[in-house]
Amino acid sequence: MNRNIIKISLLLILPFIFTFCDSKTSKQNNRIVIGISADVQTFNPLFTISVDEGAITELLYLGLFDFRWNEDDGAIDAHAMLAEKWEWADDSSSIKIYLRDDAFWSDGKQITVDDVIFSFDAYSDPLVQSRLYGTFKNLFVDEENHIDVKETFEIISPFEFKVKFPLNSVPNLDVISLPIIPTHIFKDIKRDELSNSEYNFKPVSSGSYYLKKWDKNQTITLAANKNSFLYDNEQINEIVFKVVPDYSSKILQLQKGEIDLLELVKVDDIEEIESNGDLKIVPVIGREYDYVGLNNIDPKAYSGGEIVPNKLFGSKNVRKAISYAINRKEILNEYLLGYGELAATPVSSIFQIEFNDDVSPYEFNLTRAKSLLASEGWIDIDQDGILEKGNDKFSFTLYYPSGIPLREFASMVVRNNLKAVGVDVKLEIVELGTLIDYLFEKKIDAWMLGWYVPIPVELKPYWYSEFDSTPLNFASYRNVKVDSLLDLLQTKISVAKRIETIKDFQKIVHDDEPVSFLYWIPNICVYNKRIAEINITPLGTVNHCWEWRLK
Amino acid sequence: MEIEIKNKSEKISNSQTKQRGKALFKRLFSSLLTLFLLASLLFILVRLSPGDPTQKFVSAQLSPELSQKISEKFMLDKPVLEQYFAFLSNVAKGDLGISYNYRLPVLEVVWEYFSFTFVFSILSICIQLIFSFSIAQFVLQRKNKFLSKGISNLSLFVYSIPSFVLGVFLIYFFSVALNLFPISGLKSLDYDSFSFSGKMLDQLWHLVLPLITLSAAGTAMFYKYIKEGMDDVLHQTYILNLKASGLKEKEIIKKHVMPNALSPLISVAGIELGVLLGGALITEVIFSLPGMGRLTVDSILSRDYPLIIGCVLTAGVVMILANFVADIVKIKFDKRLLKGLLN
Repeated sequence: MNRNIIKISLLLILPFIFTFCDSKTSKQNNRIVIGISADVQTFNPLFTISVDEGAITELLYLGLFDFRWNEDDGAIDAHAMLAEKWEWADDSSSIKIYLRDDAFWSDGKQITVDDVIFSFDAYSDPLVQSRLYGTFKNLFVDEENHIDVKETFEIISPFEFKVKFPLNSVPNLDVISLPIIPTHIFKDIKRDELSNSEYNFKPVSSGSYYLKKWDKNQTITLAANKNSFLYDNEQINEIVFKVVPDYSSKILQLQKGEIDLLELVKVDDIEEIESNGDLKIVPVIGREYDYVGLNNIDPKAYSGGEIVPNKLFGSKNVRKAISYAINRKEILNEYLLGYGELAATPVSSIFQIEFNDDVSPYEFNLTRAKSLLASEGWIDIDQDGILEKGNDKFSFTLYYPSGIPLREFASMVVRNNLKAVGVDVKLEIVELGTLIDYLFEKKIDAWMLGWYVPIPVELKPYWYSEFDSTPLNFASYRNVKVDSLLDLLQTKISVAKRIETIKDFQKIVHDDEPVSFLYWIPNICVYNKRIAEINITPLGTVNHCWEWRLK
Repeated sequence: MEIEIKNKSEKISNSQTKQRGKALFKRLFSSLLTLFLLASLLFILVRLSPGDPTQKFVSAQLSPELSQKISEKFMLDKPVLEQYFAFLSNVAKGDLGISYNYRLPVLEVVWEYFSFTFVFSILSICIQLIFSFSIAQFVLQRKNKFLSKGISNLSLFVYSIPSFVLGVFLIYFFSVALNLFPISGLKSLDYDSFSFSGKMLDQLWHLVLPLITLSAAGTAMFYKYIKEGMDDVLHQTYILNLKASGLKEKEIIKKHVMPNALSPLISVAGIELGVLLGGALITEVIFSLPGMGRLTVDSILSRDYPLIIGCVLTAGVVMILANFVADIVKIKFDKRLLKGLLN
């Protein structure tokens, strides 16, 4: 027995010796480590779905343009990337693009027009089922939404080509900005087998970094690509994405210096992080908001094929009353410790030129809430503390997803606040996938969720009244005027008209209050101060990491 | 006369072999039937439960046509019965389908995670058995009531600590305060620059805390089984008779105490091994390890139907195999069990 213990103890001690002799830190290796919660499932930009996958693959595969966030006006500016320069036709019916001649794939082959055209063809091919399938409606496409390459592209030379846009389309650089993939790698693979290709895991890339090593579910190591036109001597040698699913473990590693950058840090940890002189906190507000969803139509009638107003939330006055009755500031101060900002509409204040300053969030006002409810006939006749209208009691179930403490806290505040105005709220916690299923089927009255908003502003998928084509309109909001504004945004209009339209949209939506908008939640990023020249914007954190330096 | 006896014993041994073969076949058949029922039940249950695998393909940046295409590709637009028969026909060909998330064959995905879980579980079960047996033997040899009670209480305490509490405590104490072990992961960032022995030690160094977390409760449980089992047997009168007849203590323990005392332990160890091989979710999450537990939960949350079935079937197969191995080990200890186990 004693011998066993000695043997086992020796086994345990050896690694210590090893540790002290052999360990190196990131600092010695010109490397930074970024913590992520889940591993990627592919490195092929055709198939990336999650945010981290997108961020990593866009470092590996460059697009024609480099989009940068403009802090001054909250707009996105296009800069040169694979496209060295571009010229719009006077009537915007086409754009001539000049590719740079010093861009190469990581296997040494030069990037040419063939790669660009092949990429567009592959992304839109129904057999490939890429993440962008069906989104090329502003280019010439066939009935299967496959880009008509001959009609759309005109090759002038291996480094010059023209993109032609159909009449009535809305040409812009966003339409033709996608990560370009290498034709010489993928051209011989059957289109329906592209998703299983080994090159999805061993990418031949074009970015400032290449995939050096992938330890599945452990680390993704990107190394500086010295052949890239973006490379310079001071660029950080290695960017390591470390997969750590447990939040507490990520925070410990950040504090210990094992992780250099972390996103989505909880406000509870800020005080402790602030006491660590090596770390810097950057809250980025404006990409995600929470709301109390109120079904504008009756779920039972909808399941029977009819669309009739919801007996509780069909009236905009009732929905406004709900917003007046919720003390959103309390949640913001108590739980988010003041980080974040109150939301009035689905358009964030980060979009400075499109944001309507005249629209401000409904303040917490119980008297106003009560009077609005009374004006709609909701009165507590039997004095039981719950409002009635005819035979109906104002009582509903608020569903919220499990595993998100902020929403658990907020839903309790909502319940207590609404009780004060005579509205009875029952809380029900459900698994997220199940809740989403309920919402697609429009089978519940009220819920609490959040939206991560796209950049640039995209509104139609969430607020258009044609439910079949916009399944994300969970609240079943319908307003003819809003529909016409959203339709207008899909047409070729001037920038000024677009801004005016989005501002009008905010005004109407604020007046209708289709859901009760709560607050914009910050993405709190924390990074080690040894990283210099880092610029974190709403567009992303790592998207220009080749410009970072180590102190 | 001698030839007759020889023939008779040959006949008996032949019929025994036949019986064993038959029983083994029966056991194999019942195992396959269990797996078939498990897969079928699971297939129906996951499809009846709310949620849709194409949900993640619905967003403002993606077109509605994409989720429709994905749905068609994975036959999700077909009736459940049609999907079920297609599934059965694929399983018969040894194909569990393509994972919706990974877009790779399910077996390929499962294998990647199972290989780690296999090594991790075997190490853990060995640690549990070696430590529990060594401590039990140590306590029994000392015959010290105070020591015995103290260790019994300690084992109860260790057994009752939830693994997430123990894991977090170990991280705080050994990784943060003492800086002796890494907080998470399986390899150092400079793993590739190490020698072969360095690589082995590096992995072992990373596995120390996870192994303690995973093995602590099992060690305490096994200790109780071994200690009480051996205690009971040692107090039997036949052991006293054996001692009186002059047999050595070592021989008594090896030949008479162990077979009687360890039989229930081996059954439990078989089940424990099966459970470990099915994945140790909490330990895997706390220490960021790529095991079956995480894969199974992720597949459930993302409604990756083929992968859910792949994970659960793997857990089912390893549970059956682990129990089978436990039975073989039990027979090795006590031949009398063979007949009962085969039946």
